[in-house]
Amino acid sequence: MTSKVQPLLLAQRALMQFPRNPLLVGFSVMPVLMMYLVFGGLFEGVARLPGFPTDNYFEYLAPTAILLATVPGIGNAGVALASDFQSGYFHKLLTTPTSVGDVMLGRLLGDCLRLAVQAALVLLLAIALGAEIATGVPGALLMIVMGTLLGIVTFGAVSANLAIRTRDAAAVQAIQPMAFLLIFLTSAYQSSDQIDSRVLRTVIELNPAEHVLRPMRELMLSGYDWAGIGTGFLVIAGLGAVALPLTARNYRSAYS
Amino acid sequence: MTSSSPFAGTDRSPLDDLIGQARTRRVPSARPIGDAIVVENLAKTYPGGTEAVRGISFRVAAGESFGILGPNGAGKSTTIGMLGTLVRPTGGRASVAGFDVVAQPTEVRRRIGFAMQQAGVDDFATPKELMVLHGRLHGLRKHEAAARAGLLLGIMQLADEADRRLAALSGGTRRRVDLAASLMQLPPVLFLDEPTEGLDPRSRSGVWDTLERLRSRLGLTLVLTTHFMDEGDRLCERIAIIDGGTVVAEGAPATLKANLGGNATLEDVYLHYTGRTFEDTRRAA
Repeated sequence: MTSKVQPLLLAQRALMQFPRNPLLVGFSVMPVLMMYLVFGGLFEGVARLPGFPTDNYFEYLAPTAILLATVPGIGNAGVALASDFQSGYFHKLLTTPTSVGDVMLGRLLGDCLRLAVQAALVLLLAIALGAEIATGVPGALLMIVMGTLLGIVTFGAVSANLAIRTRDAAAVQAIQPMAFLLIFLTSAYQSSDQIDSRVLRTVIELNPAEHVLRPMRELMLSGYDWAGIGTGFLVIAGLGAVALPLTARNYRSAYS
Repeated sequence: MTSSSPFAGTDRSPLDDLIGQARTRRVPSARPIGDAIVVENLAKTYPGGTEAVRGISFRVAAGESFGILGPNGAGKSTTIGMLGTLVRPTGGRASVAGFDVVAQPTEVRRRIGFAMQQAGVDDFATPKELMVLHGRLHGLRKHEAAARAGLLLGIMQLADEADRRLAALSGGTRRRVDLAASLMQLPPVLFLDEPTEGLDPRSRSGVWDTLERLRSRLGLTLVLTTHFMDEGDRLCERIAIIDGGTVVAEGAPATLKANLGGNATLEDVYLHYTGRTFEDTRRAA
């Protein structure tokens, strides 16, 4: 009985932690919304370039903002995990009939829900700024799912592994800015065919996040690009196939 | 319970209620065996090559209170960690409540409470939330967990702090919360790693009273590490002194003292076998 309930109880705990830490709420949600507003205003003129897919830059930027909410945002899970190690609470949990897998799954479930809410907030702001979602609510949900999963298999895994290895919340926090690189090296702010540098275009093409962002943008601007969506999920699955077993192995090493 | 205890007059009813619950507890009990804990040649060498425990053996009878004493770095916490399934042994074997700590860790965890040396609490939770979560993780229903948390908060004199964030509580209070959380499932075996470190003398005395009553009335098996002589003397029917990862002496405190003759104290016993005083140990810790 308990093995099914335990991850849910721990997910609930992860969700309760979040609003109780005002700094975490502030640094997790506010910068994304601010960046969305600032970059949207700064680059508004880009939308007037010939061939740009939309005349509302906030529409173009919305999927990027979702990734800004989910990819760096998942880093807080690593910070929370490191704090549990530092306080001894991680090991306290392991003295109950809770497996390491349950602890991991509980954290994952809680943070998925938190990231989904953050991504939804971004979309609500986009709508308030006049953006329209071409695929409506189903497309919005699909964007949130893709953004959340990308966050988990990329920076989520990196921050969790770092937390397990260092057991130091400050160390996990210190690498959080690296998550922005993953997003900035995509067509986040400008479509790649409008970028002059061939090297940069190649880097963007090689960046897995680009292959998730592109179909998300299609969902926002035009419709369902099923081939692109399939590629996006394949990329996520591929990253997950590497990241999740590695993280699980490191989690198990906590029992030394 | 002594009248000078801070728990005097406050825990009679909650403790009796708790004992009543224990008689009808839904949590798994220990297998019907003579020894609650069997340790045979247990060893732990950490990946860096440090030999923390070098083949120790001892037995603890069901309902007995057993103390592990030793200087800093002697292997006390590693030993209790292995028994509590937190540290994987690299040699020998150990069983708790009839279950092997390596092969059946989940069964062991269902039957133990573990209060850690570093109070393992969630700073963003309240004591009540933390205790309810622990009860739920042990399979208690929500209302059962809430009721039991209320009783234990009363017994541990934590009722006033029940809804305050743990981050705002003192180190001693956090340790009492950790201890209370360890009792949520009314375990047949309770491990305590330096249980009263950081508590003031009055709180320590109160914790001792409560532990003694719980042990005597619930038949709780108690295993604790400590470097407080008076704690070892008061709470433990038998002690093992470990040094350098091996057991150097084992027996009832009175017997060990008598073996040295005269008016030997537990401090003398400790000094005799380890070459250090308890005070040296405390300073090193």
